[in-house]
Amino acid sequence: VSVDVDPISFEVLRHRLWQINDEQGVAIRTVSASPIVVEGNDFNVGLFDRRGRLATSGSGSLIHVNTLGFTIRNFIESGLDFDPGDVLMTNDPYLGAVHQNDVIMASPLFVDGEIVLWIGNVLHHADVGGIDEGSFCINARSLFQEPARYFLKIARGGRIDPAVERTFVTNSRLPDAASLDLRAQLGGIHVARERLEGLMAERGVEVVSAVVDGLIDDSREQLSRMLGEIPDGTWHGEAHMDGDRVGSDRVVTVTLEMTKRGDRLHFDYAGSSPQVDSAVNCTWHSTYAGSTVPVYAFLCGGEIDWNAGLEELVTIDAPSGTVVNAEFPAPVSICTIGFRWLVTVAANQAVARMLSASPAHRDRVCPSWGVSCNANNLFHHSPSGKTQGALLSDHRCGGAAARSFADGFSHSGQITAYSSNAGNVETTESKLPVLYLMRRQLTDSGGPGRFRGGVTAMSALTPYGVDQLTFKSTNTAGTEASNAAGIEGGFPGGGSQAFVCRDADPLGALAGDGAAFDPETLVTAADWLPSKADGIVRQGDVFGFYPPGGGGFSDPLLREPWRVRDDVAVGLVSDEDANGVYGVVLTGAGVDEDATRVRREELRTARLEGASTVEYRLGFDVGNGGSPSDTLEVAGGDGDPEIRCTWCGHTYEHTDDGDAVRARGRRGPVGGAGRWVGRRVGGDSSRFELQQVLCPGCGTLVSTDERRVDEG
Amino acid sequence: MMSEFRIGVDTGGTFTDLVALRPDGSVQTRKALSTPHAPQEAVLEGLRGLAADNGLSLGELLARTSRLAHGTTVSTNALIQRRGARVGLLMTAGFEDTLSIGRGPLRRTGGLPASKGRDYIHTQPVSPLVRPEDVRGIRERVGSDAVVLREVVEEDVVEAVTDLVAGGCESLAVCLLWSFRNPVNERRVGQIVARVAPDLPVSLSVDVAPLIGEYERCVTTVANAYLGPTTETYIRELEAQLEAEGLGSDLQIMRSSGGLTPVSLIKDDAVAIVNSGPTGGLVASQYLGELIGADMILTTDMGGTSFDVGMVEDGAFTREQSPFIDQGLPVRVPAARMITIGAGGGSIAWSDRGRLGVGPSSAGSQPGPACYGRGGVEPTVTDALLILGLLSPERFFGGQLHLSEERAREAVATRVAEPLGMGVEEAAAGIYEVVTAQMSDLMRKVTVERGLDPRDFVVFAYGGASPLHAGHWLRMLDVREVVVPATSAVFSALGVATSMLSFSEQVSEPVEFAAGSPTADVIGQIFDRLWGRALERLARIGVADDAVGSTGHVELRYRGQMNELSIECPAGKVTLDELDGVKRRFEQEYERRFGRGTTVRAPMEAITFTLDVFVDERKPRLGDVRTGGRDEGRPLSPVAVRRTYQRDSGWWDTNIYEFAGLVAGDRIEGRALVERGDTSILVPEGTHAVLDEFGNVRIRLDGVEQEVSR
Repeated sequence: VSVDVDPISFEVLRHRLWQINDEQGVAIRTVSASPIVVEGNDFNVGLFDRRGRLATSGSGSLIHVNTLGFTIRNFIESGLDFDPGDVLMTNDPYLGAVHQNDVIMASPLFVDGEIVLWIGNVLHHADVGGIDEGSFCINARSLFQEPARYFLKIARGGRIDPAVERTFVTNSRLPDAASLDLRAQLGGIHVARERLEGLMAERGVEVVSAVVDGLIDDSREQLSRMLGEIPDGTWHGEAHMDGDRVGSDRVVTVTLEMTKRGDRLHFDYAGSSPQVDSAVNCTWHSTYAGSTVPVYAFLCGGEIDWNAGLEELVTIDAPSGTVVNAEFPAPVSICTIGFRWLVTVAANQAVARMLSASPAHRDRVCPSWGVSCNANNLFHHSPSGKTQGALLSDHRCGGAAARSFADGFSHSGQITAYSSNAGNVETTESKLPVLYLMRRQLTDSGGPGRFRGGVTAMSALTPYGVDQLTFKSTNTAGTEASNAAGIEGGFPGGGSQAFVCRDADPLGALAGDGAAFDPETLVTAADWLPSKADGIVRQGDVFGFYPPGGGGFSDPLLREPWRVRDDVAVGLVSDEDANGVYGVVLTGAGVDEDATRVRREELRTARLEGASTVEYRLGFDVGNGGSPSDTLEVAGGDGDPEIRCTWCGHTYEHTDDGDAVRARGRRGPVGGAGRWVGRRVGGDSSRFELQQVLCPGCGTLVSTDERRVDEG
Repeated sequence: MMSEFRIGVDTGGTFTDLVALRPDGSVQTRKALSTPHAPQEAVLEGLRGLAADNGLSLGELLARTSRLAHGTTVSTNALIQRRGARVGLLMTAGFEDTLSIGRGPLRRTGGLPASKGRDYIHTQPVSPLVRPEDVRGIRERVGSDAVVLREVVEEDVVEAVTDLVAGGCESLAVCLLWSFRNPVNERRVGQIVARVAPDLPVSLSVDVAPLIGEYERCVTTVANAYLGPTTETYIRELEAQLEAEGLGSDLQIMRSSGGLTPVSLIKDDAVAIVNSGPTGGLVASQYLGELIGADMILTTDMGGTSFDVGMVEDGAFTREQSPFIDQGLPVRVPAARMITIGAGGGSIAWSDRGRLGVGPSSAGSQPGPACYGRGGVEPTVTDALLILGLLSPERFFGGQLHLSEERAREAVATRVAEPLGMGVEEAAAGIYEVVTAQMSDLMRKVTVERGLDPRDFVVFAYGGASPLHAGHWLRMLDVREVVVPATSAVFSALGVATSMLSFSEQVSEPVEFAAGSPTADVIGQIFDRLWGRALERLARIGVADDAVGSTGHVELRYRGQMNELSIECPAGKVTLDELDGVKRRFEQEYERRFGRGTTVRAPMEAITFTLDVFVDERKPRLGDVRTGGRDEGRPLSPVAVRRTYQRDSGWWDTNIYEFAGLVAGDRIEGRALVERGDTSILVPEGTHAVLDEFGNVRIRLDGVEQEVSR
C-alpha cells in the first residue's frame, strides 16, 4: 500500500528516522569497550526497508552500511524463520561482512505479524580469534586459519541466548571486550526497536514505509541529476599492494576503468590480479561498497542522504576469482584494509579524474584520502596466560590529497569514516604497556603541487613495564609505491611504512640528556618492515610507523612562493624541498622573488633534459566542454579545438586518432616524489617508477603518476 | 546596612537583562540595550535604571546589594571573533604537534552536525587558538604510572619562554603528558616561568583540567590562556567601577556549569565561562521548578538563530564532561548540557523538488527576516508567524520595528508556496509545523538518549519565540505541562541571580572498582586529596568550610570501556554498604540507558572523581503575585480578536488576552494568544492555560486539570 505523504510530514519523519538511528549509535559507543569503536568510530548503524535496502545510515564507517544491506538480503533469502525480537548475527565475509572482525547484527521490526523494517548494526571486534592476534591474519594461507565464521540467532524474542553468546565470546583472545561489544550491539538494536515501534504506533506503517521509500527515491533522483551534469567519459584508477602476507612482498594489483554515461556510473575491475593465498582478498559486495565510498564522499557529500538510492545508478563488474571478487574458500580476514581498501583508492582516483573533467564540479576533485591503513596491533602475553592488546589508532593521522582550490587536509583520517579519530597518547598508554616517544607531523609527507597534499604524522613507541610486545603490522600498502595519487601534475604523497629500531635504548636516552625524538634521527637506525610483518619488540627497541600523506594538485612550480615560505616556517616542508621541488629560494623569513624565478626556470629546463616523446591520453572529450586540467586548456572554436599549455601557451600536437596529444615524458625512481615514498627500498623500487608528462615547450607538468614496470 | 537586593545581570547580544530579588520575594526586572564595545556600560546603565525604579541612587542600590552576579559573553565573543591573547604553548618534547594533529579528523569535524561533517571537501578546520610557531617542546617525561622518567630540562623552559615573549606572546599555556597523575614536572615549569617572566599569565593544565586525554586537556588549557587576559581585564575593570560606585559585596561570575565563580578565581576559570549564556535559563528553571513542584523539566529557549534545549532531571541539570566550545575544540570543563540546533526566528525556509525544509541557514538579524524590510528576501520562521497572525506587527521589538506582512507573503510565495503548489498560508503553516517538529524532535532526542520518557517532563518555554510553539508539544511529546514563566523575557538573568557560588575539583585516576575495603579506602583517599584542594580554594576566597555543601561523583565503567557513567558517590570515606549502593546505581543507570540485560559480570573501574563544592545559601523565594482572585465585577475578557491560520482548519478567530490584566487562577481556553511586552504565548486548540500565583502561564491539554492556588 502506498500512501501520499505531504512534504511537511515527510521532513518531520526524515528527521525522526535519522534521530532514531543516531540513538542506536550512541548506545553502541557508550557500551563498547573498544578504542576502535569509541575513538575510531569503526562501527555503523542503519535502518533498512523490508527488503533490506538502506534508508538511513549512521556516521560511522560507510563501508559497513552498504554491506549490511547485502547481509540483510542474505538473511531474508536464507530461509530462516523470524519472530519479533529475534536478532541475527554473522561475521561471514561471504554473506556480507567485510571481514570476520566485523560482526553484523540485524533484527526485523514486526508490526501485526509483518516485517516492516530492518534494524542493523556492525561493529569491528578487537579480536575474534584466528592465527594472528587482532584477527587480521597476516600469516593465514587459508580461510580455515582465519577466525570462525558465525551465522547465529543471538537473541530470540528479545532475549539474548546465553549459549550463543558464550560460543562467540569464548573464541576471542579478548573475551571481556567481545562480551561488552556484543552487548553494545544488542543495546543499540534494543534502543532503535523501541523507538521505531513507538513511531509505527504514532504514524502508521504505511506512512513510515512511504517515507523510507521516499528517502531512497530522493537520493537516487538527486544523484541522478548530479551525474547528468558531468560529461560522459571513462577514467582509470589503479592501486598496488606491495606485500600481501608475512614473508611475501609480491605485488598484487587492482585495476579500474570507470565509465560514466548519462546518470549511470559503472566500475569495471577487469585486469585485476587473481585472488591470492593470503587474507587480503575482497569479496564482491565489499568491492561494491568500496567503489561507492568516493561517490558518497565527493558526489553526495552533505547534500544527498547516504542510502540505497545510489544502488540503481552505480554498478560494478568484478571478475570472479580475482582479488576483488574472491571465491570461497579464499582467506579474507584483512579484506577491509586489504583489497576493499585499495578498491576505494582506485575508485577515488577515477572519481577525482572524472570531476576534474567536469567544469561544474571541479571543486570536488580530491584524488586520494588516507590511501593505506597502517594498522598495527600490539599484544602482551603475560606468563600467566593473560593477554592484553589493542589496535593502535595512529593510522588515522594520515593525510588527504590537495583540492583544486586549496591544500589537502593534514591528518584527515580515512575516507571511509569522516569521524574516525585517533586516540590520545595518554589513553593508549593507559590501555597498553607502551611509552610513546613522539607523535609528530611528518615534514615533506604531503604530495607537492600548486596545492599541497595534506601531511601525515609519525608515531614511535617502546615497551614500558614489560619485557616485550608482539606486533602484527597490517599495512595495506605503501612501502614501495605510495598509491597516494596526486592529480593534474601534482606529486604523490608520502608512503605508508612501519619500522623497528633495535636496541635503541630510548628510555636511557630520555633519562640521560632528555632526548627529543624526531623522525629524521630515529629512522637512521630503522629496519623498514614490509607491508605485512610480525615480530617482537623488546625493551630498548622502538616501534614506529607513519600512515600515508595526500597527493598534490597541479605542478609544484606553480605554487605561490609565500605558501612555500609559510609551510617551511611551520615545518610542513623542508628547506631542501622548498628549493629542489618547489623552486622557491628563501631568504630567512622571506622569499627571494628573482632567485625563485631563476631557480624555477632551471628546474623546468632540467625536467626536459633527457625527456622523450610520449602520447598523453586526455581522458575527456575536448568537444563537450570538459575542462582538461590546471596546466592544459582548450582553445579555439567549435570546429577545431586546440590543447594549449596554460603556462607557456605551447599548442600540443594531436595524435592521429585524436584522443591523445604528443608531450614529453620522463621516468625516474618513486623516491622522486618525496623522501617518504618507497622508504623500504631506498626510494628506488625495481617494480615501480615515477612517470611524468611534461609540456614540450616549458616543462610544466601535465601528470605525475606511479606506474608498475615489472610486468606487461 | 540593609542588604536587601540580590541582583543578576545577564549580558546578551541585543539586551542586557537584570533581575533583582528582595527578601519579601518580589522580583524586579529591567532591560538595557547592550553595548558590545564596552559591555560594562550597559551593566551600569541597567543598574542605574533598577536603582531609579526603587527611588534610589546607584550608590544606594549597590550599598544595599548583598550579591551581584553577572553572566558575561566577553569570553564567548573573544573566542568566536578570535580576539584572545597571543598564546605560547609548552608541551612535552615529541608531542608539540598535538594540537595540529588534533586527533586526526576530530580537529576538523568534531562537534559538527553530520550534514557538515559529510561534506568532505569543503569542511575547513577552524583557525587554531595558538599559532604552530608558538608551540615549544620541553624535554621532560612522566609515565602513565606517574613515575618521573625525566625531570624538566630547565634551559628548555628558559629559552622557550624568553623566545616566545620576545616574539609577542601575551599568555602561556603548559600541558605536559600525564601531569594530572603527577604534576611535579608541570609545576616545576610553572616555577621557572614565574622566575623568567613574572608578569606573564600562565595556565597550567593541572590547574585548568587535570584529566586524562592530552588533546582535550591541551585545548582546554590553551583556551583558558587565550581567553584569560581579556576576560580578567573586563571583569577586574567592572569590579573596580562597581566598587567605586559603592558595591559593598563581591562580584561573582556565571560559569557554563551553572555555578558562580568569585573574581579572585577567574584566572583559571576563563574557559569555564564560555557559553555560559544559556545556562542561566537552566538554573532559573531548576529554581522555579522547585517552587512549583516540577523536578523533571525540559527547558527551551528560541532566539533569532538557534533553539537551545536543556534538561532538569530529578531537580538537577545534567552536565557534559567534554563539550565543544567551537568546531574541533572539545574542552574538559563540565558545562550544563545544552543542545542547540539552528532553528530560530531567522531560520530560512526552502523548497527542493517537492520537499519543504527549514534551516539550518539563518537570515540572522542582518538582513533578518523578509518582514523586517531590511533587504531580506528569504522566507523565515518569523515571516511565517506573521502571515499566520501569531505575531502582532505593532508590538514586535516593543513597537520599535514595524513588520511588513506584504514582504513576508512575497518571500513565502516565491520561495516556498509556488514551487510546492500551495497557498501562501498553507506554506507558512508548513514552515511553522516543520520548525515546531524539529524542536520537538530535539527534545525527544535529549530525553530518550538518556533513557528518559518525555511524558514525565514539564516544558519551560522562555526567550523570544518558544512560547509560540510550546503549546503544540503537549500533543507532539505528550509532556505533562508547558510553563511560560512570568519572567520569561529575562529568564537567564533570573538564573544568574539565583545561582550559587560553587566550584569543582576533579582528578583522573583510574582504579579498580570492586566491592570491598581496598576500593573503599582508595576512594576515601582520593576524595581526601580533592577536599585538601577544595579547602585551599575556600581559604583563598575567604569562605568558611562549614558554610559549604558538597556532592561527589565517580565516573564508572566496565574495565576496558571507553566511556563512563557519572554516578553519585559519598565524597569521602565510604562504607561497604555505600559502595554497594554506588555499584547498584551504576547498573540501574546502565540498564535504563541500554536496555535490560546489557550489564555484564565484568570487572569495573573508576576513572574520574569529582567533588562539587557549593556555598550553601538560603535560596531566595519568589513572592506570590496577583493572588486574591478576580473581582466579581471585572470578568476575564479578551482585549481583541485576531484571525490566525491553521493548516487543518484555515482562518480562525482567536481571542487575544493582555497578560497585565490577568490574576492568579484565570483560565483561558485555547485557541487564544496571551501577549506580554514583546512575548506572545499561544494557547492551542484543545488546550487551556491557567495563571498561577507566581505569574506563570501554565498550559495543559483539555481534560488534564491543574490545581493552582489563588
